[in-house]
Amino acid sequence: MARSWDKAAVVLCMDVGLAMSNSFPDEESPFELAKKVMTMFVQRQVFAENKDEVALVLFGTDGTENALAAGDQYQNITVHRHLMCPDFDLLEDIESKIQPGSQQADLLDALIVCMDLIQEETLGKKFEKRHIEVFTDLSSPFSRDQLDIIIHNLKKSGISLQFFLPFPIGKQGGTGDRGDGSLLSDHHGPSFPPKGITEQQKEGIQMVKKVMMSLEGEDGLEEIYSFSEALRQLCVFKKTERRSMPWSCQLTIGSNLSIKIVAYKSITQEKVKKCWTVVDARTLKKEAIQKETVYCLNDDDETEVSKEDTIQGFRYGSDIIPFSKVDEEQMKYKSEGKCFSVLGFCRSSQVHMKYFMGNQVLKVFAAKDDEAAAVALSSLIHALDELDMVAVVRYVYNEKTNPQVGVAFPLIKDAYECLVYIQLPFMEDLRQYMFPSLKNNRKCTPTEAQLSAVDALIDSMSLVQKDEEEGTIEDLFPTSKIPNPQFQRLFQVGSVNPAENFRVLVRQKKATFEEASHQLINHIEQFLDTNETLYFMKSMDCIKAFREEAIQFSEEQRFNNFLKALRDKVEVKQLNHFWEIVVHDGVTLITKDEAPGSSVTTEEAKKFLAPKENANADSAAAFEEGGDVDDLLELI
Amino acid sequence: MSGWESYYKNEGDEEEEQEEGLEAGGDYSYSGRDSLIFLVDASRAMFESQDEDELTPFDMSIQCIRSVYTNKIISSNRDLLAVVFYGTKKDKNSVNFKNIYVLQELDNPGVKRVQELDKFKGQEGKKYFEDQIGHGSDYSLSEVLWVCANLFSDVQFKMSHKRIMLFTNEDDPHGDDSAKASRARTKAGDLRDTGIFLDLMHLKKRGGFDTSLFYRDVIIAENEDIGIHFEESSKLEDLLRKVRAKETRKRVLSRLKLKLNKDVTLTVGIYNMVQKAYRPPPVRLYRETNEPVKTKTRTFNVNTGSLLLPSDTKRSQTYSHRQIVLEKEETEELKRFDEPGFILIGFKPLMMLKKHHYLRHSLFVYPEESLINGSSTLFSALLTKCLEKEVMAVCRYTPRRNSPPCFVALVPQEEELDDQKIQVAPPGFQLVFLPYADDKRKVPFTEKVMANPEQVDKMKAIVQKLRFKYRSDSFENPVLQQHFRNMEALALDLMEPEQAVDLTLPKTEVMDKRLGSLVDEFKELVYPPDYNPEGKVTKRKKDDESYGSKRPKVELSEEELKAHVSKGTLGKLTVPALKEACRMYGLKGGLKKQELLDVLTEHFQKA
Repeated sequence: MARSWDKAAVVLCMDVGLAMSNSFPDEESPFELAKKVMTMFVQRQVFAENKDEVALVLFGTDGTENALAAGDQYQNITVHRHLMCPDFDLLEDIESKIQPGSQQADLLDALIVCMDLIQEETLGKKFEKRHIEVFTDLSSPFSRDQLDIIIHNLKKSGISLQFFLPFPIGKQGGTGDRGDGSLLSDHHGPSFPPKGITEQQKEGIQMVKKVMMSLEGEDGLEEIYSFSEALRQLCVFKKTERRSMPWSCQLTIGSNLSIKIVAYKSITQEKVKKCWTVVDARTLKKEAIQKETVYCLNDDDETEVSKEDTIQGFRYGSDIIPFSKVDEEQMKYKSEGKCFSVLGFCRSSQVHMKYFMGNQVLKVFAAKDDEAAAVALSSLIHALDELDMVAVVRYVYNEKTNPQVGVAFPLIKDAYECLVYIQLPFMEDLRQYMFPSLKNNRKCTPTEAQLSAVDALIDSMSLVQKDEEEGTIEDLFPTSKIPNPQFQRLFQVGSVNPAENFRVLVRQKKATFEEASHQLINHIEQFLDTNETLYFMKSMDCIKAFREEAIQFSEEQRFNNFLKALRDKVEVKQLNHFWEIVVHDGVTLITKDEAPGSSVTTEEAKKFLAPKENANADSAAAFEEGGDVDDLLELI
Repeated sequence: MSGWESYYKNEGDEEEEQEEGLEAGGDYSYSGRDSLIFLVDASRAMFESQDEDELTPFDMSIQCIRSVYTNKIISSNRDLLAVVFYGTKKDKNSVNFKNIYVLQELDNPGVKRVQELDKFKGQEGKKYFEDQIGHGSDYSLSEVLWVCANLFSDVQFKMSHKRIMLFTNEDDPHGDDSAKASRARTKAGDLRDTGIFLDLMHLKKRGGFDTSLFYRDVIIAENEDIGIHFEESSKLEDLLRKVRAKETRKRVLSRLKLKLNKDVTLTVGIYNMVQKAYRPPPVRLYRETNEPVKTKTRTFNVNTGSLLLPSDTKRSQTYSHRQIVLEKEETEELKRFDEPGFILIGFKPLMMLKKHHYLRHSLFVYPEESLINGSSTLFSALLTKCLEKEVMAVCRYTPRRNSPPCFVALVPQEEELDDQKIQVAPPGFQLVFLPYADDKRKVPFTEKVMANPEQVDKMKAIVQKLRFKYRSDSFENPVLQQHFRNMEALALDLMEPEQAVDLTLPKTEVMDKRLGSLVDEFKELVYPPDYNPEGKVTKRKKDDESYGSKRPKVELSEEELKAHVSKGTLGKLTVPALKEACRMYGLKGGLKKQELLDVLTEHFQKA
């Protein structure tokens, strides 16, 4: 359910300039891809039935139409649609009305137009969030003069930004996350520098990174997406969906020292909100159904008694004790209103992660715009960090909620520092189970050979890549950046298990083989475009399913053509990693022996997978780099 | 008919209940009740303390049993408890054996029984015991165990777990009578064969308790307790911990496969070591008799008034005016992804686990030999190597059919024993849930303002002054404690319930005293002289656009307002904006939007 305080104002800011239409042969242009991403976004907005308003600003248009245009200022920027609820017209506009322009426009000028539009058109209305999404290939020149002012204004007015580019940007650079060891850096899968990028685009990337870094710190870089990423993960639009409410309080140490703080939920499990309603099987109406609750005595006749004749009670061991709501209210524990009070400090090793409980993580900052509070909290954060200690605190959300005891530990990042609060158990919540020792037990002592086999397994399945020179460790499988498949399924079902869907489609003849295979090929290509290991596996499943079904349905030619085209494509796009998997799994052309319709001999099929002799040094190196990723795939 | 049974259930809650139930109790509901007999040696030696201030072993045992009783009332009041004394003068048991006194038969713990136990506490309790029951001169342990076995067989309920805890400080009960000793051994063996566990809670004896004399052969470590041997207890606290550790049976949440690759699989059991304890739900009672009533929920058709069976209903969702209707089973299907189990994805260094990426409380993983042989060995190898290489295993975890998968880290945990040889950390893996991208939220952080080293040092001094040793069982839940005190008071007809001590409150007086002048020194270093951190409106910088400011300050120009009035679009403005406008023109317009609109319209039409 959309609540008014959740309402967002979003400006879609799309580059339609000259270069956006350029593309490699057989590939969609950035212009088309950007339209796809926007369509997906608007569709979701329409279906979500919320009250968000969306505007559309184009830059690089042949004409000019915006409030700021004067003289030679703010030219080739068109406000295509003002802030209003998205509807099918908007979808249609994106689909057919937006045409590529033949001009170039300054991206930063376009941003100013968007900011101006948001500020003007949200005036006097209640929007919790204001947000700009920029779609561009960054190939147009821009003037940096206004950059600092723009950043300042974005911050001041609380407008958030997201960028969508035709290529992934390298998200290198340590996170400076001291709490976790400063040597770590999170990467978005194996990232390769985008190919064929111009100097202008490089400059553009630097500028975009700078903007996002200054707005959100290193987290900001997470808000720069490639089109293919965006097409895969609907959750990239999260920004417009969820925001934590601030909780203001005072952190107290004893009765004399308090620090003004504000806390936000930073992690909490997102669940599917929309639930199924029960309807009558014949009329399909929920109004036709009603539920009632009755009480009856525990006798043979199950005599019904009215609710008025019942009272509330509680079990206390073998006794049942009548205890009215009124009595309960009067006698129950009452917390004395909200608080965040330190009970004491202890070594961080004493508060083990296995004791963490509750359903949320709070990040605790100093109150906004209160330098004294910021310095005071910073003293505490650094004191704890340097002593390797944590605070144990009593936390009460408000006078109606029960008190918690929890841990507050320091988290220091480049852009911000805070305390992180997590609930700890009460004595009543603990279960002290004992388990037989595994050590001095002859029955389960592994042999040396078994140990070394496990040792080898661990090495071969490493999910990190160490860079000895830089002393950094790269996470090849950052789980916390992967969207929950349950949501994906709800919003698009389709690409979650394409291989299985394909099988069902062709077997149940719900679609012709041609149609179904076409859809499948599209999925495979989308997956490969991501150039991410996770999606390679999915692609392999699809290809194998395609092959099996093609033999079944005597459509071997279709598969063989596809595989040949794929091999060519792999060469162009440098997807050597992926091809290695294909070769390893021995997925080759369908031979005569397998299907009479094929003209391919076993010999030819074998040769098809043999490495080309002119394989260049580059790709060999690339393979080596991803070596353990491939091993991983073999094992799974 | 089976349709009718589920039909009385509360449909809406059903699913959640199921899930909660599975999480909370494991296979509890299917397996019956746990039963536990406290078997206490009541010979004279048990009433002698070595020190004036020390509790006697008997007193210690009684206090310990009482604590288990009150805990069971809170945590699992369906479990059955009993207390049996032996070595007594009087006897009371179904087979009229001498020197055995059954104080309480196996039944739910309740207030009356706790009160009865209280009578045996302390010096008065000693006297009470001597008056009422008295010390005997002789007993036969085999007969004692016989009586216990009878207690179990007299119970009508299905029992999942039968256990006897033996409290004694005599290490050689039948030293002079080898026939008795041998009968006791045989009887203990019989009990073991019928699935009754016998634990020795041996207490302090002058010269030390020597288990090798007799008990080593009687108490043969059960399969599940290989390698755990307690020391004798001389303190109540130690005894309590031992009893606690044994008193609850491990309940496995589920037994699942852990796939290392497509050929290698082992089975593991999942356990819950931390589980939020809630106040028990209220029950409805019939006003006249205070007997519990049954609750039935039924679904019926409004138009015809006829009752509906589950098959008469479907599930529906509406998206932009289109209704999607599915059978209940189909909605379940939608949630199905994988077969339940773990699929290993790979390994990461332990230091990559982020403490602040906590999602939900962790579970514990221990090998399960019953399904795949060799699981324990492979598990042990995996654990050894993960500890050695300081890595964790990242897996895809599907807890049940119809539940979506999630990523988890299996964090190795080495076995730890304390000085009493009580296991404080079992060997196995902690199952840590990892958040999906959707679970993380961006928060508007406060600009970083760094403290200088002097300020940090002062705070360090404060922190050092307030050091304590955290123990996970240090804090009781004040809400639960108060609830049970209230119940106790009502059950015993006390005038006033005992107030539970709220351990979650900061001990401000002690803290202030320990800190002394440090707080003022710190404040002087950090806070400006006029600064009041408690003040509600100490906005130091005016910043209207900040997130914190609740009321968006809206300034509308006269032209804009006029334009709205003439176009009739004034209603599009928010109430705060309208109020602001009214204030600007000194208009009084009440609180309702229409009233505000009216005065503004009137004002501008006049002007």
